[in-house]
Amino acid sequence: MIASTAILLLTLGQAPIIEISGANFRPLPIALPAPLTQDDGSKKLAAEFDDALKFDLAACGLFQLLDRKSYLADAKEGVTASSINFSNWSNVGADALVKAQLSIDGEMVRGDLRLFTVAAGKEELKASESSSKQDVRKLAHKLANALYKFYTRETGPFETKIAWARKTPAGKDVWLSDWDGRSGVGIGIGGINTLPTIGPDGSVAFTSFRSGKPDLFVSKNAAAPKVLVASGRMATGVAFSPDGRRVAYSLADGESAQIFVAAADGSSPRQLTNTPFFINTSPSWSPDGKRLAFVSNRGGTPQVYVMSSEGGEAKRLTFQGNYNQTPDWSPRGDLIAFTARDERNAFDLFTIAVDSGKVTRLTQDQGNNEEPSFSPNGRLILFTSTRNGGVPRLFVMTFDGNNQVELPAEKGSYSTPDWGP
Amino acid sequence: MGMSSGGGGHGRTTLSEINVTPMVDVMLVLLIIFMVTAPLIQQGVKVNLPETKAAPVEANDKKIVITVDVKKRVFIGETEVPLGELEEKLKTNAKAQADKEVYLHADRDLAYGIVVEVMASAQRAGITNVGMITDPVGAGRSQKEKDKR
Repeated sequence: MIASTAILLLTLGQAPIIEISGANFRPLPIALPAPLTQDDGSKKLAAEFDDALKFDLAACGLFQLLDRKSYLADAKEGVTASSINFSNWSNVGADALVKAQLSIDGEMVRGDLRLFTVAAGKEELKASESSSKQDVRKLAHKLANALYKFYTRETGPFETKIAWARKTPAGKDVWLSDWDGRSGVGIGIGGINTLPTIGPDGSVAFTSFRSGKPDLFVSKNAAAPKVLVASGRMATGVAFSPDGRRVAYSLADGESAQIFVAAADGSSPRQLTNTPFFINTSPSWSPDGKRLAFVSNRGGTPQVYVMSSEGGEAKRLTFQGNYNQTPDWSPRGDLIAFTARDERNAFDLFTIAVDSGKVTRLTQDQGNNEEPSFSPNGRLILFTSTRNGGVPRLFVMTFDGNNQVELPAEKGSYSTPDWGP
Repeated sequence: MGMSSGGGGHGRTTLSEINVTPMVDVMLVLLIIFMVTAPLIQQGVKVNLPETKAAPVEANDKKIVITVDVKKRVFIGETEVPLGELEEKLKTNAKAQADKEVYLHADRDLAYGIVVEVMASAQRAGITNVGMITDPVGAGRSQKEKDKR
């Protein structure tokens, strides 16, 4: 009897887990009315919070955010199950209802988020977080993560950072921002800076031409960047190993470029590839740190290769097409995303399964799509696309190519994004 | 048929009536209309339903019900929506757009015009099927039974 009760409790306590992959996946229709606030003075704050939460839920690929114009419930409807008329929410097609409430106490904001299943009319989750007023977007990201975790049992991507380069008439700068492209901080400013990568401790390494030729720099906690690798040759495309203890990059001179691995501070570099007259570049680590994917033209055209991070023979991974580049290894280990130029000279994104070599197309007929980078949980891919107006901007999509969403952009062209922890 | 005779050979005389024939034609072509029995539909809004002998369709209580009560107030479910906003509400409604079907739950004493206006709004919002909720003849229940409760 005791045993059976325990099993019953276990089943009752189980939330529905959204399985994100597979052909049968359908985003969950979810209603998210504007957050409730205690007074009108907090309207601006509430709008900022709302903007961040809405973007998180709409862009993560789990949910179909229902159009607020269709809502039937009063905007002031309460946040407890007993004060909600659930038939109004089922009539707009919502499976789940998310209500947020903000309360302001001096310089602090408290956010409460509740999740209801509409059919059962039941509160499934209540999450509360506090932050300072300036960090109200962060507050929204935290609450969105609680919701993501409830549905997937995985850590959500909403508090992670991305780094990217943006070209303006003044130059090309490297920025570090929230995953939604907001709250950006300039890391490498002045001259030409590109190819940023975020280490596990949040450091940003990038390639900079400030000395006239490309060298590698690293910035910790958004402090002034320090030299990481400045040899007599051209250093580009640094990548931190998943444990943060090593870096891989390529060094070029003349017609050839080789992959090197060094300690995280740039010391004791070791050459991994040795193919004179050929280019080896764009290294990306496997999640266990044992292998590297990179691009090489040793077979005549740029293709993705895989080799041990200790050196040795490289194995060619891609065989389709004659121009495959910018590999990014999924933190889940199973896939490598890359850019390929197809027969119409358009760049598009693909993934290739590391074990089976199965190639999946992610983008098509929407301008040039390049430079994929997986989210730390491997569920989303950040990339650049020229689909809106011909200038490359940042986009996210799910790892199988669904739900492609543009990040809010400022003027300038965006390139070489990297998604970090 | 001479529904709007317009004055024949007498030159310019004002048309004193609106010719609804083309409008009804278009509506009947674009909308699939069927009868739904009331007993399966439980609604919060009180309405006297018309009685019909037409063979009714089994109602599906998961569909959106648009109610028009005797005071010409329009409801989606139990929530009143101004008639002017009905089209947008349905156009943005994910469920209505997925089903392409709504049930119309209108009072038997209403003027035909208001019912047609509601149906036209639904049709402009992309709804293709409208189920007319009726009482089967003889069942004679809806209002009387509700009154008893």
